[in-house]
Amino acid sequence: MGFDSLVFFFSEALTNLRRAGMMTFVTVSTIAVALLLMGTFLLASMNMESFLARLQEEAMVTAFLVPGTASDRVSALKLQITAFEEVTDVTVVTPEAAARELFSDPADQKLLEVGLGEGTNPLPYTIRMKVRSSHDLPALIEKVKGLPQVESVSYGEEAFRQFQGLSNLLWIGSLLVIILLGLASLFIVYNTVRLTLFMRREEVTIMRLVGATNWFIRWPFVIEGFLHGLLGAAIALVILAFGTPFIMARLAALVPFFRFEPGAVALVKLSVKLCLMGVVLGISGSLLCLRDLNAFGREL
Amino acid sequence: MLFPRFLAILPLDRPGLVRLSLFAMIELQNVTKIYPNGVRALNNVSLTIPAGDFVFLVGPSGAGKSTFLRLLFREELPTEGQVIVDGKDIVTMPEGRVPYLRRNLGIVLQDFQLLKRRTVAENVAFGLRVIGAPENVINARVQEALEQVGLSHKRRMYPDELSGGEQQRVCIARAVVNNPLILITDEPTGNLDPMISLEIVQLFLEINARGTTVIMATHNHHLVNKLRKRVIALVEGRIIKDEPGGTYAYE
Repeated sequence: MGFDSLVFFFSEALTNLRRAGMMTFVTVSTIAVALLLMGTFLLASMNMESFLARLQEEAMVTAFLVPGTASDRVSALKLQITAFEEVTDVTVVTPEAAARELFSDPADQKLLEVGLGEGTNPLPYTIRMKVRSSHDLPALIEKVKGLPQVESVSYGEEAFRQFQGLSNLLWIGSLLVIILLGLASLFIVYNTVRLTLFMRREEVTIMRLVGATNWFIRWPFVIEGFLHGLLGAAIALVILAFGTPFIMARLAALVPFFRFEPGAVALVKLSVKLCLMGVVLGISGSLLCLRDLNAFGREL
Repeated sequence: MLFPRFLAILPLDRPGLVRLSLFAMIELQNVTKIYPNGVRALNNVSLTIPAGDFVFLVGPSGAGKSTFLRLLFREELPTEGQVIVDGKDIVTMPEGRVPYLRRNLGIVLQDFQLLKRRTVAENVAFGLRVIGAPENVINARVQEALEQVGLSHKRRMYPDELSGGEQQRVCIARAVVNNPLILITDEPTGNLDPMISLEIVQLFLEINARGTTVIMATHNHHLVNKLRKRVIALVEGRIIKDEPGGTYAYE
């Protein structure tokens, strides 16, 4: 493809965008709305994911030791656990401290004084550790479970599983929404491009007559589809950029622990994703219309 | 992308240089075309048209003239038989080669087929643009082709500002801008008055004189009888007459 052809394709595409006016508006806004919704869902699941990741990283693994373990064995164990690479922070909680924690409510304090003195404390030694990263969690739990004197390990699995389930549900939901929206907008884009193609059938017929290859005929339409997609994505991104902080502020006011500060990288990734989706939508809409150009000769 | 054909292009004012011997430009062997609706448009047609020939194709409406022409630029495929254009078998030709075949053909139809939103020059340039010719080649060739049809002074006008005859001349300029081997025209004078029709055919003769094979389907018996070129008459899909220096009569 020569440079002159490239110039021709772009000027054709731009002229057609302008001439198609209303069609361009319909196509671009369809893509924009679809991408806006897709973007919202992507943001929501990103949100959930980062929340979950934080939850996991702050999760403490607690190892309960066999009751009656001697304190020198406990310190040996602590050293052993500290040596694990998955662990960042290890603290030993003595039965006394555990009891104090358990009855930290002033109302329960009396109970402690009355019922549980030296030697009557039923609580075992516990060792608490922080995980370096949530990915290391399963491995660490296995290791700790394998240690002698460790009776059981707990890591708030119930809550964790529930959140994980919720997050998975959100993922599946947004995937579904993205697919459905994608198909719906593809259908609309396909139909509008078909209309513009119909408006230009004379031109296509003549192009075929003078020996234009099918790809030469397709290029301006493909570029048009590309611009439709990019423009739609840009509109969706602008709305998201202004809308998200507004909604997040409202949400944060409602749910205090809910905070969302996605990194710049994540936001760039999201933007790229949306632009790609828009471009794919626009181009595939055009290409779908232009599968069979031979039909144009029939009108000669 | 530069095509050798552009480099080898001959000035249009030096007639006869491209005229080659009598090698067959078009060859049909036992060609039958039956449309899906059962209409038998061509029935066992065989003929040879040598390079540089000028052929009138006559016959009543529905005799298969247009089908014959459409086979030549491979808008249709024969149901049976062989069609060879410029040494290429159009039946076995892969779909992707069809545009390249058409670049060697100039096609002019009855309705003028001009793009209303483009100027005369842009319409003519279209034939070169779509084959990826560089801008300077396009400009030079468009100028030449417009001069040839006598419309270079109207290059900036739009088709709607031209008369019917002028519009048809623009189509002819577009068809020959590529220096085609064959000019295929289907009723090019169908919408034009006798005087203008004669002018159009004069143009075809000039183009023919430069070596382009011309095939013209027509109902204009005045022209056919006046020019005494080879006449092929089709009736109900069969060739009933093929004579050099012939007349329009086919009854």
